[in-house]
Amino acid sequence: MPVILNQPWTLLADKTEDYAWFPEAASTFAAENDWLYGVITIVCVIFFIPIAFSLFYFAVRYRKPKGGKAESNTAHNTPLELAWSIGPSFFLVGMFILGAKAYLNHRTVPDGARDIKVQSSSWNWSFDYGGGTVHPELHIVVEEPTKLSMRSTDVIHSLFVPAFRAKKDIVPGRYNYMWFEPTVASRKVSDEELAAAKKKMKDLGEENWNFDELDFTPDGYTYYDLYCTEYCGLNHSEMQTVVVVHETQEDLDAWIKKYSMRGENEDPADYGRKLYSRRGCSGCHSLDGSKRVGPSFQEVFGNKRPLTDGDVVVADENYVRESILYPKAKVSAGYQPVMPSYKGQLTEDDIHSLVEFLKEVSEYSPAEVVAGDPESSNEEKPAEGKNATDTEAK
Amino acid sequence: MSAGSIPSGKVRDPGYPTKSENYLTNSKGILSWIFTLDHKRIGVMYLIGVVLAFAVAGLLAMVIRLHLFQPDGAVFSGPKANDYYNQVFTLHGAIMVFLFIIPSIPAALGNFLVPVMLGAKDVAFPRLNLCSFYLWVAGAIFFISALCASQLDTGWTFYTPYSTSSNSSVILATSGAFILGFSSIFTGLNFIVTINTMRPPGMSWFRMPLFLWATYATSIIQVLATPVLGITLLLLIAERVMHIGIFDPEFNGDPVTFQHFFWFYSHPAVYIMILPAFGIISDLISVHSHKRIFGYRFIAYSSIAIALLGFLVWGHHMFTSGMGPLTTIIFSALTFTVSVPSAIKVFNWLATMYKGSISLTTPMCFAIAFIFLFTIGGLTGLHLGTLATDLHLHDTYFVVAHFHYVMVGGTLVAFLGGVFHWWPKMFGKMYSEWGGRIAALIIFLGFNLTFLPQFVLGSRGMPRRYATYDPEFAYLHQMSTIGALLLGAGLLVALVVLLHSLFRGKRAPANPWGGATLEWNCTSPPPFYNFERAPIVGDPYDFTTIEWDGENERYVTVDPEREIAPEEKPETEPAHAQSDH
Repeated sequence: MPVILNQPWTLLADKTEDYAWFPEAASTFAAENDWLYGVITIVCVIFFIPIAFSLFYFAVRYRKPKGGKAESNTAHNTPLELAWSIGPSFFLVGMFILGAKAYLNHRTVPDGARDIKVQSSSWNWSFDYGGGTVHPELHIVVEEPTKLSMRSTDVIHSLFVPAFRAKKDIVPGRYNYMWFEPTVASRKVSDEELAAAKKKMKDLGEENWNFDELDFTPDGYTYYDLYCTEYCGLNHSEMQTVVVVHETQEDLDAWIKKYSMRGENEDPADYGRKLYSRRGCSGCHSLDGSKRVGPSFQEVFGNKRPLTDGDVVVADENYVRESILYPKAKVSAGYQPVMPSYKGQLTEDDIHSLVEFLKEVSEYSPAEVVAGDPESSNEEKPAEGKNATDTEAK
Repeated sequence: MSAGSIPSGKVRDPGYPTKSENYLTNSKGILSWIFTLDHKRIGVMYLIGVVLAFAVAGLLAMVIRLHLFQPDGAVFSGPKANDYYNQVFTLHGAIMVFLFIIPSIPAALGNFLVPVMLGAKDVAFPRLNLCSFYLWVAGAIFFISALCASQLDTGWTFYTPYSTSSNSSVILATSGAFILGFSSIFTGLNFIVTINTMRPPGMSWFRMPLFLWATYATSIIQVLATPVLGITLLLLIAERVMHIGIFDPEFNGDPVTFQHFFWFYSHPAVYIMILPAFGIISDLISVHSHKRIFGYRFIAYSSIAIALLGFLVWGHHMFTSGMGPLTTIIFSALTFTVSVPSAIKVFNWLATMYKGSISLTTPMCFAIAFIFLFTIGGLTGLHLGTLATDLHLHDTYFVVAHFHYVMVGGTLVAFLGGVFHWWPKMFGKMYSEWGGRIAALIIFLGFNLTFLPQFVLGSRGMPRRYATYDPEFAYLHQMSTIGALLLGAGLLVALVVLLHSLFRGKRAPANPWGGATLEWNCTSPPPFYNFERAPIVGDPYDFTTIEWDGENERYVTVDPEREIAPEEKPETEPAHAQSDH
């Protein structure tokens, strides 16, 4: 059926892609769903064409100058009216049954499906691959039923993969589940192409990978779009990520390993930079001083932070750590308490790496605070003089 | 008086009102409007109010479409761009729904027409009527200032917990909606009582114009559903102040409960928006086809059926939210049942046009546009009512296109048709017929260009409420934006045509279209007392005695010459008078 629907568009030569009715069909749901969509559309057309035709035909055929009399004044015709009241119902029952059957299939997770835990928070996605590996991209294996166990840390989100024709809201305060079975694996682009793209991104000075320009991920896989479709506030339209479908389990394992933890000799600050873009920090915290939903990391570490409750604290290691694990405990003045907690989602090493990264990007000298007693920096009234004392103490 | 073309008979035409009779001029000064109890003046004030609200929300829609001309946003830029976009679409939706579509037909046209169609002097409770207008004004001011002052960006649906997590403005906004709700309840109550008790002798239920049936069905929904909005508000306040734990997951509440409460009002509200439109179209098609409406009873009953079934389908807004499978399937089945009465009406309207004598006047052009657009809107509802396809289409542009086809292509076009149809009656002026037709054509074309591409956007997976989007959707978004500009131009033409008629228009006759309902039996505009004496109640769709008077460019009712009873006395004595009886 989608083939039939697509045919008129294919005449538009190379613009076909942009005008296609459906995104790529890449899951077991897609074929059935598109077929049903086609059936309903054809039924609609069967009804619509006669209605539209008679509408315009009657308007022309029975048009008369003013004062003309109607040719007939039939008030009703009960058999005819019953026919067109009851007749369409058969089509409706058919649609309902087909739709409900396919829906039950959507709702029934097959036994043995791979379970991936999904956490959504405004405005980023985290997919947990076990063993402490969490990544904002969804990576799965082709022809393997995959179940998503989803939770939200703040407001309602909705996970939608158009290529899979699957969608489910994620409601805070409960788990919602969905499943699908991908049928088409992602392609891996050549190393040269990937290197060229990486160079281009670097030349352009792009902070994040530009998914709008490139149709593959930083790891070189083509991808399917994944959207948030329940309005969730400011950056709802940027709460997007990608789905990569691996050919084999081995390929997926290799990918997971790459992101599982900090490398043996990797510098914590470098790893922290990766976590910064991978774990959703970059959505709200800039590095160049511009104000987003949260304070820019350029001005955090070592700086004195006024809080919403009027206190002032010095942002030292413990303050950063607390802000990651209990973000609502001390909120910087001028910002909303909207950051989700990362408690249980980051290892101690991850937090250490993030702190080191913050030190690196901060424009304030960390030395002043590092030496100070951690207690003192959290005191209620760290006035100007207090900071000076710290320095002297050093 | 009668022209040559009119068959002989007794010509009945009320003529024109004098200045002291005309409801617009019979008393002067701003106070005579502010404290008026005349349902016609209240209707005109409502008309001005809802048109202003529509203009504001329509301009916001233009901003939305212009912003979406580019994938990264063409209007707003900088770090606050998304914030501005979110506020604009919230304002657009909230103003359109609560200030324009819900009161447009029932309050503006309904207030003017219901008593006149009943041959009554006024509604049952004129003071309540004025009160409901001022509640609307107060609610509108309160609502808009609440939205703007708190920079509300929750969308018009106020879904928890987003609406409760950042600030408390949602309570102010819902309070505004609550005040507006009371206005709606009062109007509905007034119409129910008026229609039940003030029908003139001879007007049985099945001799009422179909507009009154539609208004009656709408009023039932207004009175029954709107209080739920109030309950929702009270619960929301209790949740915020006392943390009773009903909506907020932080206190073991369930955000989906809010959706149930919200749609239990807002889905029937969808029928508050569309049912009066059905009523207008039934009257327009019949009058401008100069033919009896086909299947009167089916149309009347289907209005009531829609009003009742409309209460049972709210769950179809939540197919993806994680309701149990059985609940979901039941809501899907109920949703399909609502489509039947709507389909019946479309078939009946077409059958009315068949073998009629159609005048392609401006109101008829709008009515034809309505049937075309509403049919598309209704049929695409089937894709959404079907569960499996809804999982793909839910919260995408397909939904946006669907409800705009029903609400704009349906309600707005019917409202415009109704305004053009009753404009001569309301203001006593004829507008430029060609101007009106051109406006209808531009609106029809612009509307389709705006919203047809959105169906494709939706099936391709473009989520709604996105301030920025992936570049592959750009072509369709640009088509849509160009269509929106065309639609805006068409609406502007319509406004100019109507305003122009007020100053330059020809004086309108009492019956410019050949209608048979009672409002055409009084002068245009009606005198402040509506009818000198209770009018003769005939069949509202019997056009056989209505003739075109070409000389005076008007329709008149021609009653057949009645034979005078024989003057001579019978020669023989009747049997009952005989003495031996």
